[in-house]
Amino acid sequence: MVRNASATSMANNGSANLPRAPLGRGMKKNIKIKPDEIQLFAKYIHGVSGIHIEASKAYLLETRLGRLLEAEGCATYGEFYQKVKTDRSEALEKKVVDAITTNETLFFRDANPFELLRHKIIPEVIDYHASRTIAAPIRIWSAACSTGQEVYSIAIVLKELLGRANLVNIDLMGTDLSDAAVKQASYGAYNKFEIERGLPKNQLQRYFFSSGENWKVKDDIRSMATFRKFNLMQPFSALGKFDIIFCRNVAIYFTLEDRKKLFNKIADALEPNGFLIIGSTESLTGVCPRFVPKRHLKSIFYQLR
Amino acid sequence: MQALKVLVVDDDPVSRSLLSKKLQKAGYDPETAEDGVEAVRMIAGQFYDVVLTDLMMPGGVDGIGVLESAKESNLKTEVVLITAHGTIDNAITAMKKGAVDYLQKPINFDELFLRLEKIQNLRHLMKNANDLREAMEVTEQASGETIQNLEMAVANLESRLESVRGILSRQDIPAEERIEQAIQH
Repeated sequence: MVRNASATSMANNGSANLPRAPLGRGMKKNIKIKPDEIQLFAKYIHGVSGIHIEASKAYLLETRLGRLLEAEGCATYGEFYQKVKTDRSEALEKKVVDAITTNETLFFRDANPFELLRHKIIPEVIDYHASRTIAAPIRIWSAACSTGQEVYSIAIVLKELLGRANLVNIDLMGTDLSDAAVKQASYGAYNKFEIERGLPKNQLQRYFFSSGENWKVKDDIRSMATFRKFNLMQPFSALGKFDIIFCRNVAIYFTLEDRKKLFNKIADALEPNGFLIIGSTESLTGVCPRFVPKRHLKSIFYQLR
Repeated sequence: MQALKVLVVDDDPVSRSLLSKKLQKAGYDPETAEDGVEAVRMIAGQFYDVVLTDLMMPGGVDGIGVLESAKESNLKTEVVLITAHGTIDNAITAMKKGAVDYLQKPINFDELFLRLEKIQNLRHLMKNANDLREAMEVTEQASGETIQNLEMAVANLESRLESVRGILSRQDIPAEERIEQAIQH
């Protein structure tokens, strides 16, 4: 889950319940969200996703929830809120989460962390494991994997680095809040716009096969990863410990207080010699003193103090 | 935006030259290939925005072959198939293999231009999105470097502060000496 894809066009947000603009004008009126409704939704969205929405970002709620509201035939956001809250099946909640989360991601987004993984982190983690008496898999977690590109990029690096033999000892897990994103990640299919981004042609041909309009991850790469839905606001205790955690460009949507909680839990979930990678424009200064930043070539990674 | 570069592939010289002339007149930049084999050779040599190809052609490479070679060479190339009446099934096969659209013979030129305009618009949107993305990536990279430098600088200062604090709190050496050491640190 990362940065925007609020591509929902304002022009599409027509309403059946408000007086329509005169025919032929082409523009339809959007249902406006009122200040008290912004508060209701902001609180609700924070509760289910941890995402913090400022009162000044009403437009964000309108562009992202407008279509859902219309599909439900609601005349106001208040009415829509009641409908979401009373929906026992939680189907509407899923839709709201999918609409509000952003899935801007790409293969090898920012090349540096993957170079870091290849040349520094994986070799060190392997050494660390070799030095331990108990044989355990190397565990890697992509904590906000969106539609899976980061996980498959990691898998490709691992495959290229380790070849076939060592792969059995790796446990690579991707989680995301959005059901729709997890579903796509798990299916491992990407359209040409997604595939064109970040993925060099030789890697495309080596690790994907074309399937109609889409490209699918080949089985040997797909089988390296598991995906599941997970809310970062939940406790991490059931997840166990990881050698490497990627948590990039997700905490930026949280309040400072939630960020502190998140990275504290990540610190608990990291092996003593584990590695944390955050987004290139993120910082842990003032967020989590348990981590110390370290530089390797053009990248920064974090380890426990 | 630059005119779309269109490769017309048709073994029938009459419809080939008619298509080419119509396209030229409508402001596109057409080239022609007289069969699939020539088309494959041309596609390998340069980029076409659109390949407009007949489905049934003699010589071993049909429209599907042209489609596959175009997609192989560059995913951005859009392929429009031209099919004879009653061969919709083939057209659907082609769509599944990545053709953007198909037209039935005899070609309705309004329809053709409509399809090309759509491709043109899509190109335009893609370019805007790409420009935005590039701008974002440049910004992200620059701000990332700044933030990472600051992150390292802060960590460095913190650890120095920590050792200064350690020196100052030592009771085993006289205060003046402690201050001296702390300053030098």
